[in-house]
Amino acid sequence: MVELRKLAVDYPRGSGRSADRVRVPAVAGADAVFNSGGISAIVGPSGCGKTSLVHAVAGLLVPSSGEALIDDRKVAGVRAKTAVIFQDYGLLPWRTVEGNAELPLALAGLGRAERRSRVGPLLEELGLAAFRDFYPAKLSGGMKQRVAIARALAAEPDLLLMDEPFSSLDALTREAAQEFLLEVRRSRPLTILVVTHSIEEAAYLAETVFVMSGRNPGTIRERFDVPENAAAARFAPGSRRDDFRATPRYLKLCAAIRSSLRGAGPTEDGATS
Amino acid sequence: MSQLEAGLRKAAGVVLAALVLVALWALAAAALSKPFLPGPALALAAFWRLASNGTLGLHAGASASRVLWALAVSFVPAATLGLAAGRSPRLDAVVSPLVYILHPLPKAAFLPIILLVFGLGEASKIFLVGLIVFSQILVSARDSARRVPRQLIDSVRSLGASRLELAVLVVVPASLPDLLTSLRVSLGTAVAVLFLAETFATVTGLGYLIVDSWSRVAYAEMYAAIIALSLLGLGLFAAVDAAERLLCPWHSYRT
Repeated sequence: MVELRKLAVDYPRGSGRSADRVRVPAVAGADAVFNSGGISAIVGPSGCGKTSLVHAVAGLLVPSSGEALIDDRKVAGVRAKTAVIFQDYGLLPWRTVEGNAELPLALAGLGRAERRSRVGPLLEELGLAAFRDFYPAKLSGGMKQRVAIARALAAEPDLLLMDEPFSSLDALTREAAQEFLLEVRRSRPLTILVVTHSIEEAAYLAETVFVMSGRNPGTIRERFDVPENAAAARFAPGSRRDDFRATPRYLKLCAAIRSSLRGAGPTEDGATS
Repeated sequence: MSQLEAGLRKAAGVVLAALVLVALWALAAAALSKPFLPGPALALAAFWRLASNGTLGLHAGASASRVLWALAVSFVPAATLGLAAGRSPRLDAVVSPLVYILHPLPKAAFLPIILLVFGLGEASKIFLVGLIVFSQILVSARDSARRVPRQLIDSVRSLGASRLELAVLVVVPASLPDLLTSLRVSLGTAVAVLFLAETFATVTGLGYLIVDSWSRVAYAEMYAAIIALSLLGLGLFAAVDAAERLLCPWHSYRT
C-alpha cells in the first residue's frame, strides 16, 4: 500500500547555479491511499504538480513536509522495488533494446549471463525479442514504451509509477498500450500508479481516481472509486469482461471527473466554468 | 544508404575536392610562372623524393608525436573537468571564471613564456598545443554535460545509480559526440599552432622543414612539406571520424 500524508514538495526558483533561496511550492497537503495490487490514477491539468508527486513517491526528491509511505515505511531515497516510467521513457539512446532493459540488473551488479537469462524471457513476453539489438532511435513510440516497461519489470518491482506514460502516443497505439499495461498487470502482482492528464484514461484504467488541481501548489481534491476496475474483479484468473468504455457508467464517471476538474478553479488557459 | 556506401561517397568527395584544388594550383602556377609557386608536378616530385629518402617520415613522425602527446595529456583531464563542472554547480563556480579568462587568450602568443618555463625541448611544444586543445575541450565538455536531459538522469537515478554510475552510464556517453566534434575543431587549431611551435628551437617536425626549405629557397620542398602537414591534419580528422563511428554507433549522422 502506498500512502501520502500531507505531502508537500517545493523546488528552488530559477535553475542550477544561481538558485536563490526562494522556493516555489509544487504540491501541498496531498493525502491519498493507493491500494496494493490495484491500479490508481492521478488526473490533473499540466502544472498541477503531478510529476513532483511521482518523484516524491519514487524517492527522487525529498518532500518539504509530510511524507510518502510504501508498506508503512517512509520513502527515503530510491527504493529497489519501485520502478518508474517517465513520459519520454528515459531510454538511453546509446544502449540497445536489450542494453536498456537489463540496465537495472547491471546496476545491481549482476553478471552478463545472468542478465541475459533474466531479460530474454521478458523481451519475448513484450514482443521485443526480434529488436534486441536495435537502438531506441529506430523504434516507434509504442515500441519505446514497451522497452521502458521491460526495463521497469526487469528489476521485478512491486510498485510501478508511470508519469504520463501514454501521452506521446497516437490514439490507437495509446489504447493498445493501455490494454498492454492491463495484460502486464494480469501476469504479475503489481501496484500501479498512473499519472495522466487524460480523464478517459484514468477512468478506464484505475480502481481509484484522484483528481488533482490548483497550481503552485496543486493538491489532491477529490477521490473517485471505480469498483468495476477493482483488481479482484479484473485480474483474477479467468476473469473476462465487456469493454467498460461502452457502458453508461463509464461515461457518467468521466463526466463526474471532468466536472470535478472544472469546479476546482482556473485551468491552464485561465478559463473557469 | 549503407555505411560502406556512405564512406565511399565521402572518400570520393574528398578526392574530387583535392583534384579541383590541384587543378587550380596548376593554373595559378602556369599563369604566374614565379619561382615561389612551382606547379603541382614539381611539388609532388619533391614530395616523392623526400618521402622515399625518409626525410618526410622523420619530420612527419616528430610532428605527429607532438600532436598526439598534446592530445593525450590534455583531452582526458579537460573532458573530465569539463563534464564534472557541467554537472556540479559548485565546481562550475570555480571552473567557469577560469574558462572565461583562459579561453579567449591568444595562447600562441605565450610561446616565448612557455619556452622560458619549459625549456627549448619537446615539453614546451607539447604544452602549447595541449593548452589550446585543453581549453576548447573543457568548454564544450562543460556545455555538453549541462545539456544532458534531466529525464535521462532521473530515469537512471530511479534505478538506484550512484553519482559515479550516472557519470559513466549517462553523462559521458551523452557528451561523447560533442566531445569528438570539439576534438575535430581543435585539431585544426592544434596543427596550425604546431607549425608555429616547430619554427623555434628544433630541427625536426614539418614546421621546421617548411621554414628550413623556405630559407634555402627550395620552394618545391617547401610545398612538399606543406602537403605533408595537410595530410597529417587530414589523417587526424579521419581518425576522429573513425573513433566516432566506433564509439557512437547509436549516433546517426549523415555526411
